[in-house]
Amino acid sequence: MSEQSVKQSQPLMDIRGLSVEYLVGDRRLRAVDNVSFTINKGETVGLAGESGCGKSTLAFALTKLQKPPALIVEGEVIFDGKDVLAFDEEELRRFRWKETSVVFQSAMNCLNPVISINQQICDVLRVHNPAMNRGELQDRARELLRIVGIHPDRLNQYPHQFSGGMRQRAVLAISLALKPQLIIMDEPTTALDVVVEREIMDQLSELKEQFGFSILLISHDLSLMGEITDRIAVMYAGKLVEIAPTEDVLFRPQHPYTKGLVNSFPDLLGEKKELTGIAGNPMNLFNPPAGCYFEERCPESTEQCKKSDPTLITLNSQHKAKCHLLS
Amino acid sequence: MGGYLSSRLFYYIAAFAVALTFNFLLPRLMPGDPFEIMFAASQGKIQPAQLEVLKEQFGFVSGPWHVQFWEYIKGIFSGDLGPSLIYYPTPVTEIIAGSMPWTLLLAGVSSFISITVGLSLGIFAAYHRGGKLDSIASPGLTLLGAFPQMVSAMLILFLFGLHLDWLPISYGYDPDIDAGWTLEFFLSVASHAALPLLTLVISGLGGWLFLMRNSMINTLGEDYITMGKAKGLSGRRVMVQYAARNAILPVVTAVALNIGFLVAGLLIIEMIFNYPGVGNMMLTAVSGRDYPLLQGLLLTIVGCVLVANFLADLAYLWLDPRLRKS
Repeated sequence: MSEQSVKQSQPLMDIRGLSVEYLVGDRRLRAVDNVSFTINKGETVGLAGESGCGKSTLAFALTKLQKPPALIVEGEVIFDGKDVLAFDEEELRRFRWKETSVVFQSAMNCLNPVISINQQICDVLRVHNPAMNRGELQDRARELLRIVGIHPDRLNQYPHQFSGGMRQRAVLAISLALKPQLIIMDEPTTALDVVVEREIMDQLSELKEQFGFSILLISHDLSLMGEITDRIAVMYAGKLVEIAPTEDVLFRPQHPYTKGLVNSFPDLLGEKKELTGIAGNPMNLFNPPAGCYFEERCPESTEQCKKSDPTLITLNSQHKAKCHLLS
Repeated sequence: MGGYLSSRLFYYIAAFAVALTFNFLLPRLMPGDPFEIMFAASQGKIQPAQLEVLKEQFGFVSGPWHVQFWEYIKGIFSGDLGPSLIYYPTPVTEIIAGSMPWTLLLAGVSSFISITVGLSLGIFAAYHRGGKLDSIASPGLTLLGAFPQMVSAMLILFLFGLHLDWLPISYGYDPDIDAGWTLEFFLSVASHAALPLLTLVISGLGGWLFLMRNSMINTLGEDYITMGKAKGLSGRRVMVQYAARNAILPVVTAVALNIGFLVAGLLIIEMIFNYPGVGNMMLTAVSGRDYPLLQGLLLTIVGCVLVANFLADLAYLWLDPRLRKS
């Protein structure tokens, strides 16, 4: 599946040189540093990396949802020929959800607890389609619940009456409401057990087949990504360190960090081997080194790695990695 | 839903029963029998036999306590709180009925204004945190609210009532005007209520603003707010339906907890502005040792506070669907 969709690639969202900083006191912490990649139409891109590497910050910045003290300092997010980051409030409001919806990390907390699921589906429908009447809104809301496998009779219930899995489905239903071209999913199943995670992921794949939207899936779970993504981008300390088709990332990782990440997960089908993981802790972004950010933890580091930060090197048309060893 | 309401209702009934019991016990345990005072004050004009009749009329029947208590309860539930001592023989219930509307007027209007204005300001201040409104109204109103009510009442009375002489400082309406449904009477009532209302609103606003602002700021960090924004909803809808709608829940709890204090403040304001409400009547009752009137007033106030609390519970139930689950 991955090979086909990549071949006939038509860019949907083009992220160019995006940097996001957090203002902490009078210091600036660069959480996303000059990240560029493209999400193609109908494609599922995974964004992997350890906690605190800037994945979520990046995801929020794509639709300018970052909260102070986060600040987009440079870059462009080109969607349909227009720079989303240059939109004014009203343009942004109309763009959000209509073109790009977001499924948040904590489905448990991202539904408004005091208004019904019905209202939470209808408010987004109504604000983007003011012409819809009450009956049409209701029909669409029921249809959306049916699509994600919730009985439409539960439409008028409140989030607390839903189980964790159902809430995540409800969020999925809301994210599909306006048939967006891109759904950004920030660790959508982190809070769920593996059985429910499996159900929801299967459903997501079906829905993707049906509606043809693109997905940006943010997770630290490479095995989950391996199943549904076409390409995987790996971030470390705010920088994109490797991006390649899923198979390449999982079986032919080039960057030492990606290798470490891949080796941190057990292979269910393969032979038993010792999981190596990555030694050390994530770096302190307040004192970035002159050289490669990963140098301190890198098992293959050289003198050059201490001196200069490598650029993203194109290994082939699909595969890029940011490491001196590859040049 | 039924479970929550009935447990609350049970609590209020129990609280009222306790209040009733204390109301019965206190004057009987206190040294200084009011009848002995009357007897002494009459300087021999009241015969001991007459005193017994009076006692009975006031519900102080002789006999064991449980008999007395039964008589007392019967009296209360038949709406008979006995006659007042000061305004003898006017019944206590009549006096309370005459002063209650004034207190309700002050309490109702001042709470309505300070709660609606204070909460709205709190919502805006939090939503545009650090903006103009937040940096002026939040500290300013908090400063005003930090004055003890008694002090701000005196200042307002002196400034607007005496120094500038803009508004009357005493009574519920101009005694030269006949009470009735006329515009003149209405204006008189409004101008007389203005200063006490101003005091109550000024001292209340800051509290409501801060309560709502802080609750809003907590709520604004929630994921469903970000989701509301991500959905492309209007700023107003996110602010009201997503943020304020959730942030108001702890505020309602705070309202319920503070009703007693609000009433206490109200009583002081009435005394300062010589306003013909329950608070002022209470002052009269205390200084005249009018036990039946005092008891009646206390009981009425307790009743009102409990009813207000119950209304706050109903509001909470209406606002939070999580409680409606049976």
